[in-house]
Amino acid sequence: MGLNERFNQLGTLHYARWFILRDDSFRDKTAFPLPERLVFSSNFDGPVDEHIAGLVTVFPEYFDELYECCEDYPEPANRNTETRKSYLEKWKVNTTAFYVGAPGRSLKQIKQEDQLREYIRSIINQNKWDGKSAIEIQKQLREKVDADPEFAWAKSPEATASINWPGMILMSLVILILSPVIIIWILIVHFFYERRDTNCYDKRSQLNDDLVRRLETDEDLFNQNQFTQVLVMKPGKVRLITVQALMLFARTLIGNFFVKGKLMGIPTIHFARWVLIDNNKHMMFFSNFDGSWNQYLCDFIDKSGWGLTAIFSNTKNFPKTNFVFTGGAYDEEHFLAWSRGTQILTQVWYCAYHHLSIKNIVNNTLIRNELRKNLSEKQAQLFLKRF
Amino acid sequence: MQELELSEIQGFLVRDYKEMPFSKYFLLQVKAADKAKIFLKSISKKITSVTDKKESSFLNLGFTSAGLAALGLQPNNIQSFIREFREGMVTPHRQRLLGDYDSSDPQNWLWGGPKNEAIHLMLMIFEANEEKMKEHTQQLVEEFYVNGLQQVHILDGETFPDDREHFGFRDSISQPAIVGSGVAGLKLDSIEPGEFVLGYKNEYNVYPDTPLLRENQGNFPMLPNDPDGSGKKDIGRNGTYFVLRQLKEDVDGFWNFLNDKSKNDDGSLNTEESTKLAAKMMGRWPSGAPLVLHPDKDPGGLSDENDFLYTDTDKLGLKCPFGAHTRRANPRDNFEETGPDESLHLTKKHRIMRRVRSYGEKYTASATQHTPVDEVGLLFGCFNADISRQFEFIQYTWANYPKFKQLYADPDPFIGVRENPEPGTVQQFTIPQETHNKYIDGLKSFVTVKGGAYFFFPSLTAVEYLSTL
Repeated sequence: MGLNERFNQLGTLHYARWFILRDDSFRDKTAFPLPERLVFSSNFDGPVDEHIAGLVTVFPEYFDELYECCEDYPEPANRNTETRKSYLEKWKVNTTAFYVGAPGRSLKQIKQEDQLREYIRSIINQNKWDGKSAIEIQKQLREKVDADPEFAWAKSPEATASINWPGMILMSLVILILSPVIIIWILIVHFFYERRDTNCYDKRSQLNDDLVRRLETDEDLFNQNQFTQVLVMKPGKVRLITVQALMLFARTLIGNFFVKGKLMGIPTIHFARWVLIDNNKHMMFFSNFDGSWNQYLCDFIDKSGWGLTAIFSNTKNFPKTNFVFTGGAYDEEHFLAWSRGTQILTQVWYCAYHHLSIKNIVNNTLIRNELRKNLSEKQAQLFLKRF
Repeated sequence: MQELELSEIQGFLVRDYKEMPFSKYFLLQVKAADKAKIFLKSISKKITSVTDKKESSFLNLGFTSAGLAALGLQPNNIQSFIREFREGMVTPHRQRLLGDYDSSDPQNWLWGGPKNEAIHLMLMIFEANEEKMKEHTQQLVEEFYVNGLQQVHILDGETFPDDREHFGFRDSISQPAIVGSGVAGLKLDSIEPGEFVLGYKNEYNVYPDTPLLRENQGNFPMLPNDPDGSGKKDIGRNGTYFVLRQLKEDVDGFWNFLNDKSKNDDGSLNTEESTKLAAKMMGRWPSGAPLVLHPDKDPGGLSDENDFLYTDTDKLGLKCPFGAHTRRANPRDNFEETGPDESLHLTKKHRIMRRVRSYGEKYTASATQHTPVDEVGLLFGCFNADISRQFEFIQYTWANYPKFKQLYADPDPFIGVRENPEPGTVQQFTIPQETHNKYIDGLKSFVTVKGGAYFFFPSLTAVEYLSTL
């Protein structure tokens, strides 16, 4: 059985990656010499211990072969589900901030809802519907779905996350109250830190061609791509506090506001993760997204340049920033070169649904829920345009 | 407004040369660099610039990366050009981005592919009549011979009758207007020069990546300095990049497909519906009239109407489907899901200056007439400063990518359909209608790539500089 089939067998895994992290993975000098490390990151349903149990049960030999070369892995005689599990538990690293494009949707739900969409689309296409109103069509579609036992699950709508406005107002108030401190903080960062930074002035043409070609070898094979980036944090408490505060801000926004399939306006991200490691000396960033690298990076600049600038300017050699939120990502050519230059190879990458964009996934849930609703003619027309 | 050095910029970027209906593109290989440089020196005086007042015999010139090497530009100086240009149109990754598979596979190309002879430079000439074209060609062919330039391939291009390409549609209606170039345009088409000319700021308000001399060679003092102030000499200033692709159009297949998809219940031909379906796929009627302004029928005649937006007039795609070629390739104020003003601004970062000529029999097809005798097609060309963010972005993200906007499985019906998709892959065209969507299933590919290359079009000074290497 191949790796893909094993991953499929878990039934709860959306995306996964393995990559090798070494001193020379970082474009800048690391804070201290690093041992060679194997990093695994995954996006899964359910509690983490069940996920770990699933991984070591479906993959025992594969796991052994892969992790045998890692420090502290149980000796052959000692290998069993429990020891493998506790090994993974032991080396688990906490995530600093995490974004989910379609929060709350399990792999099973995503697959079911896509089957439902396809089924309804084929019914729409097979019939003439002459003179029928959208309401009548919606009703007939519902009856067809209800008559099919395969779609029994679709009879109950699935709640989706909605924006937490009270929470957002509370956050805004806190920021307002803290604004004098924040402003002074930004001035301190600007005058005592940003002005002394060394910055990236590379252009894409000056990057290491071999590296970029190797990255491109794995890109645009499917509708999605992945991005793995490792960075060295700028030294000092001020930078660390800045990044921690921004991560808190990001977590609050992600949990309460970015719940409809867009991260800071970017509508193509399935999952994104920031991890501070090595005692906050290094940062890793992973994402799984729809479309090409170029589109993804253009979206970064055009839609969320300020947010990325604020976070990533606390890492070494970022393009020049001003007052934490400006410059940086908006310096297009240098930012693109920095992004490509700090990206590293991902040796293994898995995606459970190559045929679905995050927009498709979000739309499919809306289809499932709106099928159940009593819609007005106008709403029913919009419903029928979702296919 | 940035002041452009128009007398330094090659004319074809700004002027469409419509007054010169005949054109020839000579794809050449340098056999003897010394002689070729003598030729370059003399030809550099004859290149048509934007401001050139000459009334006939327009001439422009571009180089491939292999061509720059053949002329003796040092490898580390070539290294400072953008990677897309250095690698050329044919790499495994670029093949995926551009969708050049099956019949369009570079292995099958007539020129520019791995099995074809290397192209070093392209000389383009434009003439008012066939007589002049003959004379000019004869004179050039002799010069090529004397100067060690071998003709690898020759492309004959003509302007289209009424500007209508072979499928039957009026073409090149919407074009960007470079701010400061002297060409006026709609606000939505007015674009900062750095999107098209190196050495000026682009829509991000930064300078595009320009090739700087890492190692001084030739008569380098004649080159201008890096606008970013590095002190290095800039070969790129007032230059641009040109994308050329020979696209064969299967006119008969196209109209047969549409006629079949739109036939009456009794199986008879429904010309009106067939033409309408073609227009839905294009986003404009054969006359050029845009669907958002003329949703129900072609007003006829010839139209250059271009002052329209999508958000207020057609937010749901009822008039012009989201998947229509012109709506994808230039989404105007309806880019993804952003608001209209921001959309207009974002779209400006992905525009190209199209320079398209037809080849083959002069033939304008329609639902009832679609069997040209010869192979017909177009010589698609476009200028841009950042090949990856402009041409390649449009071809991949907007044309080939089936998940454009909220769509599920809709490639661009003209230039994005795979001939032999992976088993099980749906390729459809979604037509939003008042109550429910209509789907055209089983899209077929009617455009085949027969050749292609990326060229650098230097400033007039930089062409002369190359002759001093």
